[in-house]
Amino acid sequence: MDPMEVFKIEVSGDEEYGSKKYRELIMDILQDLGLIRSIGRLYVYIDISKPFFAVYGLLRSGIPPLTAKDVGDVMHVAGGYQIKINDEEHMANLLQALWQRYGRERVAQPSRDVLIIASDSSPSELVVADLESEFLQDLTDALVRIAPEGFRNRRNEMTKDSFFFIAAEESLTLQMVSEIKEKIREMENA
Amino acid sequence: MLEPVMFTGGLYKHDLIVELVEDLGGYVLQKNVTQSEVILLILVPTEDKPVLEALSNELRGELVRAPLAGTEVAVVTPTLAIHHLPHTACDIAEYLRRHGSKTNMLGLARGVGREIAQINEYETALINEHDAAVFIFGNFADCIKKKESLYRNISVPVVVTGGPKIEAKELPYAFEYVPSIGRVAHRAKKATEIGTLDGIVASIGRALDKTRATIAKDPLTISPPRVMDAVREQVPDVEFSYSPLPIALNLNGVRVKLPYGAYKDAVAAVTFDEGARLGEIASIMPSRMKDYILVRILPASETGLVF
Repeated sequence: MDPMEVFKIEVSGDEEYGSKKYRELIMDILQDLGLIRSIGRLYVYIDISKPFFAVYGLLRSGIPPLTAKDVGDVMHVAGGYQIKINDEEHMANLLQALWQRYGRERVAQPSRDVLIIASDSSPSELVVADLESEFLQDLTDALVRIAPEGFRNRRNEMTKDSFFFIAAEESLTLQMVSEIKEKIREMENA
Repeated sequence: MLEPVMFTGGLYKHDLIVELVEDLGGYVLQKNVTQSEVILLILVPTEDKPVLEALSNELRGELVRAPLAGTEVAVVTPTLAIHHLPHTACDIAEYLRRHGSKTNMLGLARGVGREIAQINEYETALINEHDAAVFIFGNFADCIKKKESLYRNISVPVVVTGGPKIEAKELPYAFEYVPSIGRVAHRAKKATEIGTLDGIVASIGRALDKTRATIAKDPLTISPPRVMDAVREQVPDVEFSYSPLPIALNLNGVRVKLPYGAYKDAVAAVTFDEGARLGEIASIMPSRMKDYILVRILPASETGLVF
């Protein structure tokens, strides 16, 4: 069963096998990159005689930015604040953000997972990483991998809650793009 | 008649196998040592195979037929990008290796796309140095038919693989077409997928048999394994080549992995018991692969000799 609410794939011409295999391929690649849970609906339209490859997807609710209190426990101690790190993956980003806000001389790291900040203002709301932009980067990477190779003329429109990606062999024209959008709208309403 | 077999077993006492093969008049084509295991590719006279089997059993080794041993197969993908690798291309290459072939993977420079796919003269010549080639294509029938231009000028048999079922008459330039292995993003591990890989091996086997039958009509002056043995003995520097297989065998010659300029005369001067020099019974030319030496044995109709 698909983890997505809607996953439609349409290939023009007599290419039933291709359409079935592309469904598997897209699932494999999205699963490999851990993106499958963030996509709600997916519409794929391929015309191999032109040829082009188009994907339109709706994203599930946005991902909030990661703050200092998400990666560790923030406590008030004598002379400032202490952060006990739980998730070391974002350590480098956290240090970078702390240095920028407080200055290097006020951030100490007495042991591997403890940071002490000599300041009166709490760092708990400090943004450590923008997961959404990381996600969008991963998504673009996945789309480039999924598109048939050699389709080097690409257009990628990303908004907060959707993405629209076209890849083609020949140059993309405005007319072509609007035709594809129309087609995908039909698939959505069908 | 020499039979190609593969011996897999412990390193301990494996030299007994090597000695026995030499005593029987066979050849050891390749020796791979992996820690305490050894894999030997062997050509052994058919009538003496039971002797070798008995020794192999005694050493608790395994002896299986390797139908592709002594041949070189090119696995060609439109490019070496993530779209084809590692899954399809590596699976096919690895599977061919397990059946004894020397497999080279080749990514074309501009093989991508449907309208824009092309192959250049150098790539064609390089593929022609092999005994057979496998072209790996994708999931759309229309693209597979369109990409025929990539292998139209290749003179060795070409096995084409792809996803959908296509009639053989629609791909007239392919030796055979093997369906149901198009672009996939996972390793081949299901029984049906392994079955498809077996289909490719069988198809390559038929392609090589066809080439063997063509060669048999006008036999080569000398057999390639004998040339390999003589070169190994008389040009000892070849053992210092960094390649895992310093002399690669083809059906109609060998490739010696030494610089052409410095060693072509030494290779041409290799002499056989019958008195002929290699330079007289074979053409020695630069290989398209790096700076290697390509030896192509002349047929009996040109030299008037058969050893």
